[in-house]
Amino acid sequence: MMTASSPAVPRTAPAMRPMKRIAAYGQEFILLGAIVALFVVVSFVNPRFLGANNISNIFAGNAYIAVAAIGMSLVIISGHIDVAVGSLIGVLATISGTLAVNGYPIWLAWLVPVLVGIVVNAGVGALIAYLRIPSIVVTLGMLSILKGGLISVTAGAWITNLPADYLIAQFRLFGIPSPVWFMVILTALVAFWMRYSGFGRTIYAIGGNVEAARVAGIQVERSTVIVFAIHGAFAGIAAVLFATQLQVIQSTVPPNLELTVITASVVGGVSILGGTGTVIGSTLAAILFAAIASSLIFLNVSAYWLRSVQGLLILITVLADMARRRRLR
Amino acid sequence: MLKRTVALALGLSLGVSSAALAATWTGGDDLPTNPLACNGTPGKAEAKPYDGGVPTNAPDRKGKPIKVVDVPKLIGIGYFNATSKGIADAAKELGNVEAKTDGPTQANIDQQISFIDNYITSGVDGILFAANDPVAIAPVLKKALAAGINVVGYDANSQPDARQWFVNQAEFNGIAKALVDNMAKEVGEDASFAIVTSTFTTPNQARWISEMEAYQAKCHPNMKWLETVEAQEDNVLSFNQATTLINKHGDDLKGIFGMTSVATPASAEAVTQAGKCGKISVVGLATPNAMKPYVEKDCVKSVVLWNPVDLGYAALQVLRATADGDLKPGATSVKAGKLGDLQVINGSEILLGAPFTFTKDNIKDFDF
Amino acid sequence: MTATLRSLLRHETILAILLVLVLAALATQSDRFFTTANLLNQGRLMAEVGLVALVMTFVIVTGGIDLSVGSILGLTAILLGVFWHNLGLPLPVAMVLAIVAAGIGGLINGLIITRFKVPPLIATLATLALYRGLAEGISQARSVRGYPEWFFVLGQGEVLGVPTQLWILGALVVIAAVVLGLTTFGRATYATGANETGARFSGIGVDRTKLLIYTASGLVAGLAGVIFVSRVSTTRSDMGTGLELDVITAVVLGGTSIFGGRGTIIGTVLGLILMQALKNGLALSGVKGDGTIVVIGLVLILAIVASNLFSREGDG
Repeated sequence: MMTASSPAVPRTAPAMRPMKRIAAYGQEFILLGAIVALFVVVSFVNPRFLGANNISNIFAGNAYIAVAAIGMSLVIISGHIDVAVGSLIGVLATISGTLAVNGYPIWLAWLVPVLVGIVVNAGVGALIAYLRIPSIVVTLGMLSILKGGLISVTAGAWITNLPADYLIAQFRLFGIPSPVWFMVILTALVAFWMRYSGFGRTIYAIGGNVEAARVAGIQVERSTVIVFAIHGAFAGIAAVLFATQLQVIQSTVPPNLELTVITASVVGGVSILGGTGTVIGSTLAAILFAAIASSLIFLNVSAYWLRSVQGLLILITVLADMARRRRLR
Repeated sequence: MLKRTVALALGLSLGVSSAALAATWTGGDDLPTNPLACNGTPGKAEAKPYDGGVPTNAPDRKGKPIKVVDVPKLIGIGYFNATSKGIADAAKELGNVEAKTDGPTQANIDQQISFIDNYITSGVDGILFAANDPVAIAPVLKKALAAGINVVGYDANSQPDARQWFVNQAEFNGIAKALVDNMAKEVGEDASFAIVTSTFTTPNQARWISEMEAYQAKCHPNMKWLETVEAQEDNVLSFNQATTLINKHGDDLKGIFGMTSVATPASAEAVTQAGKCGKISVVGLATPNAMKPYVEKDCVKSVVLWNPVDLGYAALQVLRATADGDLKPGATSVKAGKLGDLQVINGSEILLGAPFTFTKDNIKDFDF
Repeated sequence: MTATLRSLLRHETILAILLVLVLAALATQSDRFFTTANLLNQGRLMAEVGLVALVMTFVIVTGGIDLSVGSILGLTAILLGVFWHNLGLPLPVAMVLAIVAAGIGGLINGLIITRFKVPPLIATLATLALYRGLAEGISQARSVRGYPEWFFVLGQGEVLGVPTQLWILGALVVIAAVVLGLTTFGRATYATGANETGARFSGIGVDRTKLLIYTASGLVAGLAGVIFVSRVSTTRSDMGTGLELDVITAVVLGGTSIFGGRGTIIGTVLGLILMQALKNGLALSGVKGDGTIVVIGLVLILAIVASNLFSREGDG
C-alpha cells in the first residue's frame, strides 16, 4: 500500500476555490512582487543593475542554493529538517572534484555525488524514520561528522587544474547559464510532481498529520526515507553546480550554507511545521537573496550594515506572510 | 492590509538602506599609518628595545627534543596549509622537533583560545600561533609563557608582551606599497579601483587597507577608490561580489584588489568569466598555484605574496633558536636554517623579507 | 506524568553512565586530564555555552528554539564597548545596560513569536542575521579594548580558587533547576510544550510564559557576552558566531525533546559536561580538532539512539 490517493489524506491545492488558491500561492506572489520592486527601485538608482550580465549573475549565482532548497523544502514539508545540508554539499563537491582531476570520466564526476548524496541521506532518513530520532538531532550530528571528516581527509587542500569540460556550471544554452536551466527545470518538475503525483500528496500528508497519514495507509517510514533520498539527490546536483562554478574547489564546508538553504525554504513559504508550501516559493526566495546581495552593492549600502538589512528583509517577508494569512482567516 | 504591509515593508527597507548609506568606508582600521616613500627609499628603522614576553622558569631545552604545536587562525585553507608544510619541513630538517598543526575549522577567536589552552595543559614545549585577534589571544598566551612554554607568532601578531617573538612576513606598509604600485603600473595613475576583502574584523586585512589608502593618497593621488566589499574566506561569495562590482561600475572599474588568498583568484575568475581580461586588472595577495591559470592566460599580471612555506619554516626555526637560548632579547638577527640570517625589527619581530611579486615569468617555479 | 518522568530519568541515567565511561577512558589516555586545575579550567571555558544552554532548555521544552543567542552575545559585547568607551558611561552601568539591551533583543524575539505567530525557528533565524548585522554596523568592525583590571575578575579571575564564572554558572544551574522542576512556571513551561492548545484551555498564560522565556534567553546571552568580553579582554562583532549550534547540541544531548514537553536541567548539565570533556580529553590524548568534531557528532546520534532503544524496551 504505497499509493496515497486514499480519501483520508488531506486534500491539497487542486480542489481549492480561487480565493484559497491565491492563498496557497500567496507567498510566491509576495516574493515575486519583492523581486520586481527591487529591480525597479535599484535600476532607477543605477540602470546598470538591469544589464544582461548582472541579471544573469543574479539568477545563476544562487542557483545551487535554489536547487538544494528544493530538496530541503520536501524535507520540511514532510515535517523534518536538515541542518547538515551545507556540510553534505561541501563533501559531495570535494568528491566530484577529486574524481574529475584524477582522470575519471566526466559523467562519473557528475553522477557519483548525486548517488552518494542519495545513499547518505537515505541512511539519515532511515535513522529518523525507523529509530525515531528527531531529524534535527541526526542532522546536527551529521553536520559535525561530515565537516570534521572532510577536513581530516583533505586537510583543506584546494582542488585545482579542473578539466574545462567538467565545469558544467559555466556552460551556456541559448545564452543562458546552465545553473539557471537546472534551477528552472527542476523547480517546475518538482512543483508539478508535488501537486499531481500520489507521492507528492503523501509528503504533504505526512507533514500535515503523521497519525492521519498512517491511518490512511501511508507507509510513513518508507516515505520519509524516500524524501530524504530525494533531498540527497538534489544536494548532489547542487554540489556539482557549486563545484563547477569556479576553476578551483576549496574542499571545505561552505560557511552558513545550511542556514541560507533553510532560510530560502521557509521564506519561500514552506511552513516549518510541515504540511504546506511549494518549491516555487523557495526558488523565488533564493533568487530574491541573490538580488538583495547584488542590490546592496548597487545601492552603496555600507557593507557593515549588509547583514542587518538582510535580516530585516527576511523578517518583513515573514511578517507580510503572517499578515496575509491572518487576513484570509 | 496586504498592500499596506507590503508598502510598509518596502518603505522600511528603503529607509534602512538610505540610513545605511555611508559616505566613505574602506574597510581599513583606525590605527596610525606609516606610508613608505614613493620612490622606494626604505623607511628608517628605529631601534626599539625588546618588548616581547619571557617564559617563567623555562627548563633548559638546549639541543633537547621538543614538542611544538602550531595553532593557525583556521585549518583547511591553502595559505595555512602552506605555512604548516613549512613548519613540517623545518621540523624534519632540525630533527629534534616534533611539530603538529591543529586548530579551529573557522577563524573563531573562542575556539582558537580553547585549542591553545588544551595544548598548554597537555604539556608542549613550544607554541606557534597566527592570531585571530591580537588582544583576545593575549591572556591564554600569557598563561603559556607563565607555564614556561616558548611562544612565537607568525602571520598575525598578538600584543607584544604575550609572546616572545613574532615572525613578520612583510611589513604592512611594504605590502601596501607593492600592491598599489603594481596596480598603478597596470591601470594608470587616474584609474578607479575596488577592493574585495575577507571581513572587516580581520586585523591584517584592515591594516593593509589602511596603509594602502595612505600610500595611494600620498603617491598616487589621482587614483580613485570606489569601494570595499566583504566576502568572508569564501570562494563563491568572493566571485559573486567581484562580479557584482564589475556589473555595477562597468567601464569605470579598472582594477580589483584581492586582499586574501581566496578573494584574489575568485576576483580573477570573475574578470575572466565577464570577458574583461585585459580591461580590468586584478592585483592581490594570493598563493601561486591558485593563480597560475589566470597568470598564464595573461589575465593577471602580478600577484603579491611572501612565501608562506618560508614563513612557517622561519617560525619554527625561530622557536627552536629561542628554546635553545640562541635568540635572546636584544639580538639583531637570527639564523634561520636555509633562509640565512633574518633581521630583528620593532623590538621583538623578525622580518622574513620584502614581499615577492609573482609574474608570468617566475610563477611556474613555485608549487604551494 | 510519572511515566514520562521515569523515561526522562532513564535518559539521564544512560547519559550519566556514558559520562562516567568517557571520563574514565579519557583519564587513562592522558594523566593531565583528571587534575583539578584542568577541570576548573574547562569549567571556565564552558561557562558561556553553559549559561545560554540553561535557558535554551526552557526554550526547547516549550517546543521553540532560539538561534539568535550567538548574535545577541556578539551585539552585547559591542554595546558594552560602545556604552563604556564611546558614550563614556561608568563600566558597571555599561554592563547593566548592555545586558538589558540583550534582554530587549530576546523580548523582540518573544514578541515576534507570540504576537505575530511566526514559528520560532524562522523568527530567530531572521534576528540571527539582524542582531549580528547590528553588531557589525554599530561597531564598524572596530574593537574596544583597555578595560580596567577589576573587570577581568569576571572572566579571568577566581573566587575561593574557583573561576568566577563557574560560580555564576553554578548559581544559575540551581535557579534554573528549581524553576523548571518545582514551580508553577516550570509546569506551565512543560504544559506549553506538551500541548499548547490544551495548555491555553486550562488557563495557562502560554504567551506570557514564552515571552518571559525568550527574554530570559536574551538576558542570559547578554550575561554570557559580558563574561566573554572579560575573558578575552576585547570586543569584536563576530563574537559568539556558531554558539547556537554548540548550545543546542548540549541541550539535545541532555535529553530535551526538540518537539517540546520533555527535558531537564540535570540532563542539560550532563550533556554540557560530556561535550566539554570530549573536546578537552580528546585534545589531550592527541586527537586533532577535526577528529573531535566527528566524535561529538557520533556521540550525539548514538546517545539519542541508545536512549530511544532503552525507553522503547521499557515501554514494552
